[in-house]
Amino acid sequence: MSVPDYMQCAEDHQTVVVVVQPMGIVPEEQFFRIYKRIASVSQVSIRDSQRVLFIRFRHHYPPENNEWGDFQTHRKVVGLISVTSCNTAKEWPQTSDRFHGQKEVFGSTLYDSRLLVFGLQGEVAEQQRTDVAFYPSYDDCPDVEKRVEDFVESIFIVLESKRLDRATDKSGDKIQMLCVPFEKKDFVGLDTDSRHYKKRCQGRMRKHVGDLCLQAGMLQDALVHYHMAVELLRSVNDFLWLGAALEGLCSASVIFHYPGGTAGKSGARKPSVSSAADAGKRHRPGAQEVLIDPGALTSSGISADTSAEIGRAKNCLSQEDIIEKYKEAISYYGKYKSAGVIELEACIKAVRVLAIQKRAMEASEFLQNAVYINLGQLSEEEKIQRYSVLSELYELIGFQRKSAFFKRVAAMQCVAPTIPEPGWKACYKLLLETLPGYSLSLDPKDFSKGTHRGWAAVQLRLLHELVYASRRMGNPGLSVRHLSFLLQTMLDFLSDQEKKEVTQSLENYTSKCPGGMEVISLPDGLKLPPVPFTKLPILNAFHSLCIYTVCCFSLMCVCVCVADFQWVQGDVCEVQLMVYNPMPFELRVENMGLLTSGVDFESLPAALSLPAESGLYPVTLVGVPRTAGNITINGYHTSVFGVSSDCLLEGLVGVKSSGCMVEVVPSLPRLQLCTSLPRSAHLSSEDLSTSVSLQLFNGETQQLTITLENIGTETLNTLELTSKTLSTKEKLFGEFLTWDLQDALSHLPLKSGQSVSIPVNISAKLDFSGQESLLNDLNDDGISVTGLPVSSPLRQVLKPRTENKPVGSDASKNEFNHVKTLEAVLTFKYSGGAGQVEGYYRELSLGVRVDVEPSVFFTRVSTLPATSTRQCHLLLDVFNSTEHELTLSAKNNQDLVLHASECQRYTHTHTHSHRLLLHWRDVTPSVQLIEVCRLSDGIT
Amino acid sequence: MAVCIAVIAKENYPLYIRSVPTQGELKFHYTVHTSLDVVEEKISGVGKALADQRELYLGLLYPTEDYKVYGYMTNSKVKFVIVVDSSNTSLRDNEIRSMFRKLHNSFTDVMCNPFYNPGDPIQSKAFDSIVSTMMVQAF
Repeated sequence: MSVPDYMQCAEDHQTVVVVVQPMGIVPEEQFFRIYKRIASVSQVSIRDSQRVLFIRFRHHYPPENNEWGDFQTHRKVVGLISVTSCNTAKEWPQTSDRFHGQKEVFGSTLYDSRLLVFGLQGEVAEQQRTDVAFYPSYDDCPDVEKRVEDFVESIFIVLESKRLDRATDKSGDKIQMLCVPFEKKDFVGLDTDSRHYKKRCQGRMRKHVGDLCLQAGMLQDALVHYHMAVELLRSVNDFLWLGAALEGLCSASVIFHYPGGTAGKSGARKPSVSSAADAGKRHRPGAQEVLIDPGALTSSGISADTSAEIGRAKNCLSQEDIIEKYKEAISYYGKYKSAGVIELEACIKAVRVLAIQKRAMEASEFLQNAVYINLGQLSEEEKIQRYSVLSELYELIGFQRKSAFFKRVAAMQCVAPTIPEPGWKACYKLLLETLPGYSLSLDPKDFSKGTHRGWAAVQLRLLHELVYASRRMGNPGLSVRHLSFLLQTMLDFLSDQEKKEVTQSLENYTSKCPGGMEVISLPDGLKLPPVPFTKLPILNAFHSLCIYTVCCFSLMCVCVCVADFQWVQGDVCEVQLMVYNPMPFELRVENMGLLTSGVDFESLPAALSLPAESGLYPVTLVGVPRTAGNITINGYHTSVFGVSSDCLLEGLVGVKSSGCMVEVVPSLPRLQLCTSLPRSAHLSSEDLSTSVSLQLFNGETQQLTITLENIGTETLNTLELTSKTLSTKEKLFGEFLTWDLQDALSHLPLKSGQSVSIPVNISAKLDFSGQESLLNDLNDDGISVTGLPVSSPLRQVLKPRTENKPVGSDASKNEFNHVKTLEAVLTFKYSGGAGQVEGYYRELSLGVRVDVEPSVFFTRVSTLPATSTRQCHLLLDVFNSTEHELTLSAKNNQDLVLHASECQRYTHTHTHSHRLLLHWRDVTPSVQLIEVCRLSDGIT
Repeated sequence: MAVCIAVIAKENYPLYIRSVPTQGELKFHYTVHTSLDVVEEKISGVGKALADQRELYLGLLYPTEDYKVYGYMTNSKVKFVIVVDSSNTSLRDNEIRSMFRKLHNSFTDVMCNPFYNPGDPIQSKAFDSIVSTMMVQAF
């Protein structure tokens, strides 16, 4: 016997085998329809008794297994149902012959047989035969089940008669020696009259009767017979049969203890009459029942009275004993190499029992033993079956990892190199089933949160195998999906070399079959969710993600945080992401764009190339909202290695936001700003569209022409201009920036493409007089000033400073070169189009930075008494600190030409009343007097 | 001596696994991974009765044709697995126990390192050298 039935379980010992076979040409589909109907009659209650007969239907049964029928009667084929098609009466005799031929195969063991003929009508079909049933077609056979029931009853009658026949054999008669196929040659020439031989025959027969009783639904009788058989066989060391008797005892006890069966869901039985009756009696543990003494019976042959008063519960093994006896039986089977299948099946049966008892550890020991049972040369198919069953059994006892391990071995067996046509599909299917054992799900969402779960090394291996199997299956889409999953979830566990290999093969696959975002459904119902590459590149935490709106391409860019800005319909909008590339090579990201909802949004995808293991890298994604309303930015899409992914922000690690909402306002005009001066770097503190910077001498005025062009599509209706001087410590005289907007406003409304110019005067009038050197000089000369009140507050303040003079004079050398800076921002507010109606406007700001250089200094101020006492001469020493020649002019005086770095005395006559005033405001008003002209400009 | 020593986190992923280089590393990954079934079964059985005085040493998890797999679980549910060659009959249970004790002590040292993040793979050189003393010397 070489073919184990891996599905066997203990309660199968009480069944009888009926083979259902097609005869001649029967369409497979039709045959299995009939087979299913026949197999539905798996248990039949026997009339006039409380017993039930259980049937195992098989459509295929190896005849060599049948040869072990004497050893364990549930292996014996006792019934045959042939299904055949027969269309004409002419074919009938031939069919009938073939039926007889088929019966021969199982000939010796058959109790009864039936032939179901389909398609035959007419005279032949009308004959009444118990062993043949005629049906006009496969669809018209209403009483198949009834027929089968009758057939089963007839089997039962034969079985019952055999049981009675065997059970009442008198000890005087010669008892037939039952044996298994491989024993036959051992008995040649054995003394059949020895006591030992007789005992052996008796023991074996007892066991056989026990089997028959069990099949016939007489559980208690079976137990008694088994007990006796065990005693008999133990005394003669007939180990193989002793094992069988022990196993019979176990089976009967299991049936008693677990009326629901041990095969799990698939083999669940309907609660039967007899087991229900048993169950009722089971609940009387204290029943005064007598244990039969098996020893007392052995000597008197097989005539023992095994009637109902014999102990029930006590003959039945306890749950603990069942396992002990199974172990013993298996150890006996193990002595015989040819009984490997029996041993294996016993192991499996024991495991099923242990699984129900929830004794996983012991079950695993049985399974461990089963793994090492050598069945000789197994075909590849048998190996696969064996590993699959081991896997199922491990699963049954809750050893998920072991189960996965064996399933994987089975999967690998499907595609073993020795198999001419490797079953990649089967391999793939089995591999998928191992996923839970390796705590791996194919949904990347399960991996996005928290740390990686499970054993990376084995998971990685499994994923590689899935990729390979799906590729060999001819489903590149699946390979791409699995490979993407591998790359996405196992990235941290891949070495640099592996990363390269994986991406290379991914690119190979995607060149044939690009990966997408659709859910892949497998035929068996499993759904493979899409795998977005959220790690290629990795988006840095979203809170640092800043969103800009660009209203005017690069010229006007307002950076505001998430909710406090608006986008404008029809304008290009930007979102900036900070990403980095975790790969050890350059990562090419193509077709990267925004995923949005709410408003019609035209995404303008970007392609970028991130250097190997880049640091944070800013990526700007742009798009144009086509309608007004609220837009939600949900994420971004990319295409990496030929796999396109939609990465939603909510699924990203470390990103708290699940998207952000931006209001899109109706369209507004857009202005582009040009200035007559070259652009410069932005001012430090403010966010500006653009900046200009220029250099002016103190007192100089320059004109800046600002040209505004409407480059949008909407008409500009309003324009306002404001300026703001940035806080400066310098004292500023007069207006820094002046302009006249009237001319520009007269051009409004400004149509698309038109432009206006606005002249802005920039004049720098600063106080450079705060120089200590100058004041110190004044102080020295103070004596010469007549009529100066000694109580002057300034003088008091200044006096102490003179003590530090040496230090101050040192510093004074540099102070002539001092450049002062003035900064201001010009802000244009403008609006128009649909946006104006709703009160929106845009701002455009221009930073102006002026470096003011000093022009002239009054290094010394002194007075001389004039001819009139009411007058005095004011002497001013003027120093030209510029590199240019300049002309100094004052009211009603001649001009004075000063060359570069020249100092001259300038005399002015003042009345006394003037003089005092001039003295204390000294140089400051003097600046106003002076028109500074650069000689190089040719202006005086 | 051992042919493979593994430390497995509470969440059943490997913190450390080292095997003799002469044999396939992946094979030991599978061996240790499947042994976790037995560990789980053992602790689920013991846990109810003797939760407090549970012995850390779990004993022989399962024998295979070539190897014997022993287990040990700390109170924080970190598991140690030692795989020894089946042919090595000189090893007694006591020696296996003492190996586990040494391993546990060294693991405690690793955990005491303020720079070690529980749950990260163990990269301590001290731990590595302790493991080396227990491994079969490759020759």
